[in-house]
Amino acid sequence: MITLRDVTKTYDTPAGPFTALRAIDLDVRPGEFVAVVGRSGSGKSTLLNMLAGIDRPSAGSVAVGGASLKELSHDRLAQWRGRTVGVVFQFFQLLPTLTALENVLLPMDFCGVIPASQRRARALELLKRVDVPEQADKLPAALSGGQQQRVAIARALANDPPLIVADEPTGNLDSATSEAIFRLFGELASQGKTVVLVTHEREAVSGAMRTVTLVDGRVAS
Amino acid sequence: MIAPRWRKVLRDVLERPGRSALAVLALSAGVFEIGALLYKYAVLQPVLTTMYEKTRPASATLSVDAMSDALLDSVRQVPGVADAEVRPVVMARAQTGPDEWTPVIVNVIRDFDHQRIDTFAPQSGAWPPAPGQVLLERSALSVAKVKIGDSLRVRMPGGEERSLLVAGTVHAAGLPPAWMDHFIPAFVSWGSVLRASDDAIASVEEPSQVRIVVSDHPLEEGYIREVADSVKSVLERNDRTVTRVTVPTPGRHPHADQMDAFLYLLGAFGILSFILSAVLVASMIHALLSEQVRQVGIMKALGATTRQVAGIYLGQVALLAAVALAIGIPLGLVVGRAYAQFSASILNADVTSAPFPVWVLIAEVAAGIAVPLLVALGPVLRASRITIHEALSGATAPRPFGTRRFERWLAGQVWLPRPFLLSLRTTFAKRARLALTVVLLALGGACFMSAMNVSAAWDRAVRDDFSHRRYDLTVFLRERQPISRIEALVERDPDVVHVEFWPGGNPYLIGERGVAGQQVALVGPDARTRLLELPVSQGRWLSPTDSIGAVINQGVVMRNASLGVGRDVSLRLQGRTVSLPIIGVAKELTPMPVVYAAQPAVYAALGEDGTSTKAARIVTRGHDDASQREAARRLERAFAEEGIEVAGLQRTSDARQSILDHLVIIYAVLGFASMIVVFVGAIGLTSSLLLNVVQRTREIGVLGAIGATPATISRHVWLEGVLIGVLSWMLANLVAAPISAGLEAAVGGIFFKSPLPFSMSPAASALWLGLVVVLGSLSSFYPAWRAARLPIRQALTHA
Repeated sequence: MITLRDVTKTYDTPAGPFTALRAIDLDVRPGEFVAVVGRSGSGKSTLLNMLAGIDRPSAGSVAVGGASLKELSHDRLAQWRGRTVGVVFQFFQLLPTLTALENVLLPMDFCGVIPASQRRARALELLKRVDVPEQADKLPAALSGGQQQRVAIARALANDPPLIVADEPTGNLDSATSEAIFRLFGELASQGKTVVLVTHEREAVSGAMRTVTLVDGRVAS
Repeated sequence: MIAPRWRKVLRDVLERPGRSALAVLALSAGVFEIGALLYKYAVLQPVLTTMYEKTRPASATLSVDAMSDALLDSVRQVPGVADAEVRPVVMARAQTGPDEWTPVIVNVIRDFDHQRIDTFAPQSGAWPPAPGQVLLERSALSVAKVKIGDSLRVRMPGGEERSLLVAGTVHAAGLPPAWMDHFIPAFVSWGSVLRASDDAIASVEEPSQVRIVVSDHPLEEGYIREVADSVKSVLERNDRTVTRVTVPTPGRHPHADQMDAFLYLLGAFGILSFILSAVLVASMIHALLSEQVRQVGIMKALGATTRQVAGIYLGQVALLAAVALAIGIPLGLVVGRAYAQFSASILNADVTSAPFPVWVLIAEVAAGIAVPLLVALGPVLRASRITIHEALSGATAPRPFGTRRFERWLAGQVWLPRPFLLSLRTTFAKRARLALTVVLLALGGACFMSAMNVSAAWDRAVRDDFSHRRYDLTVFLRERQPISRIEALVERDPDVVHVEFWPGGNPYLIGERGVAGQQVALVGPDARTRLLELPVSQGRWLSPTDSIGAVINQGVVMRNASLGVGRDVSLRLQGRTVSLPIIGVAKELTPMPVVYAAQPAVYAALGEDGTSTKAARIVTRGHDDASQREAARRLERAFAEEGIEVAGLQRTSDARQSILDHLVIIYAVLGFASMIVVFVGAIGLTSSLLLNVVQRTREIGVLGAIGATPATISRHVWLEGVLIGVLSWMLANLVAAPISAGLEAAVGGIFFKSPLPFSMSPAASALWLGLVVVLGSLSSFYPAWRAARLPIRQALTHA
């Protein structure tokens, strides 16, 4: 599903160049649930950005589902991402002026993969799947953190992407809610989705099929 | 079902009602002004053209001492003449108050229902008038101080007085409104009691006007003059004296130039305010996008393309523009119609039956949507092209204060009071926004000051011009009278302190090709006079030693550019050509051509010996309007008692005031236009302050947490508003100079055919400073109120 070869990412900062990833090689199989762990600044989020096509490597190649990301233009990459990758953020990142249902509808609207006549039903089904169907018409400000993250996961599933990436998805949640969210990711993996999760929570690591540990931008194990 | 992204457009607009309202107001102002101008143009222009054409305006009018039908037939046979008509004209005066008389031009009409040239239409009352009745041009009722049914007392040439019943009004669309030119156009029938002769149709032994329409090249002034010259020759060969040949600008209403110029000025202001409002909206969108960077990143992470993201934000602009159109269009149409009616009244036209100009609506909608979208396109595309990583990592976070040299210098000014220092630093923290706000407000201020500067320049020019004419009254006599008799009569008045008698005439100016064309005024002031001392742009003024020299004004130079000091000015007078050496070119406000010549030369040209006169220039003891008016009444009475007929009596204060009165129109036009620009500037200031408050919410929370009261916080925002206002005032003073110079040149060119002297009024600058402080205070009111009532907890957790 995912193949990274010799991926290096260097940022220019006011203090000089900073290398976040150093010659990373990584393979993730379809349906695999991978937890990426490491200390703060080890390159976890940068790695996730590479997989999701959110950022491009300074050197090396990233291929997801057979697509070489560096060959895709900016807009083709956006379209590819909408169809192939579901992204879950640490701070949920729901659009504040759209309701929960509309937030889930938004990726379908952008990508046009799901026929318009089926979108609403699918969005409601996804909200039901993540246990927040009754929150469909509420604005994000009216939802708890856990509810917002469930809506965000439903949104990530909107276009039925084969790959789900999540960056510290429970970083802002209490332990009980975190546990439920991790269970949800586990279920997704068991349903055939490839899940790559950046986390520092032990529960996630224990639930994952494989753990990738990063140290100073390198895969340590 | 509306797609979620379009719901986002709507909700983002509604989420910030204050800012959205400001954007809508700014755009509405632009749409309103453009709409008002286009509507006025669309309604007035076709009406003017068709209305004026319908009167079948004369190509040329020749004033003759007498006419006959046979001679009129001969005129119609002149090559190039398509049609000709004769109208006897009585140059009389109508009583408009006790011992107050206003010139009235009585047109004698042979057949009211079959007019051929310079036609007019019935407006109200009788048609045609009975022998004892008169019809007045509709705009003349107020000048004559009568209404239909009143009696109008008319003093005829020769002194005979008749009373006529004002039986109705007519609309003579080819004439300027009577109140503007201060004379009364009147129309009587062929059998009117005013006429010296009876119903003799074959012969009109009285002063008449022969109006001709040319058959070819009706818009070529040169051709018309040639045909008029041929007609003049025919009349003179038949022993008629042609006293005046008038050729108006072909195909143009007499005041069309003024209206075009006003339209141009207003158009410039309208486009300026529209562009400014669009730029303001672009800046608001830019600010909105800077707040929504993270949302752009999220949408892109969800699969949105650059085009889709751009579409969302352009959709917001289009929505704001659509609301602005809904407000601006009706307002613009209402004001445009009122303005068209006002302009029509100046042009003596009617727009009440003009069809609704659909194209204006289409143009307004197109411009109102397209222009904001175009100006927003840049910031929207820039924001939409941001990468997800940049958007989500905060790579576009604002630059911290203190990283630039100016900011570090500002930070060192610790001697300033701390609250003021904080406001000062805050003001300069967002320099691009500050620059835009200052420029917007400064342009408004510059337009405002320029309007006042033009007024000041006009006022100064008029007062300066009249300060060189130190006589209070000018009496024009119907017949020549011995100077000794007039002098004795005038000096009997206790208020008259001095009187002078200057010879004068109306010769034709010989142009560059040696052809006599335009009529000019020839005046021979006393060489020792103190009553007239005009400034000169070339050469010198007349001196007592001059016997043949002449000073021409710029009105003469305009008609014959080859004339100047050292050349001769040639005049055609009573069949003879007189050449006078030019010794100076005078600077005068009037665009009318005048040749001032040494008195002996003028007497020689006129064939007079200097013992009789037709005009007297009088100085009264008190120079104010009241004493001039009182002296004028006494003199009217005295002349009447002596049996001397007065053809006209002009008060200098009246002449000056009538020119100053035009200022009202100019000031109204420029003031209205500048107010719109000021309005847009004020919205810009409010918007800028509001954005600063929104973006500094957390900082305001911190201020509150460390003990700042709501009053302190709102004072801080107010000070920021006033500071920006004062900065804009400084810039406005610089920008006002070229704008004022341009407007003064344009306005002077329209009315006087030469630019007004450059004037920057300190009063205008001081007034704008006061206004901008008030405006800064008003604009900061809402942002300050909002900042003061921010709950500290909420402010501290603001993202």
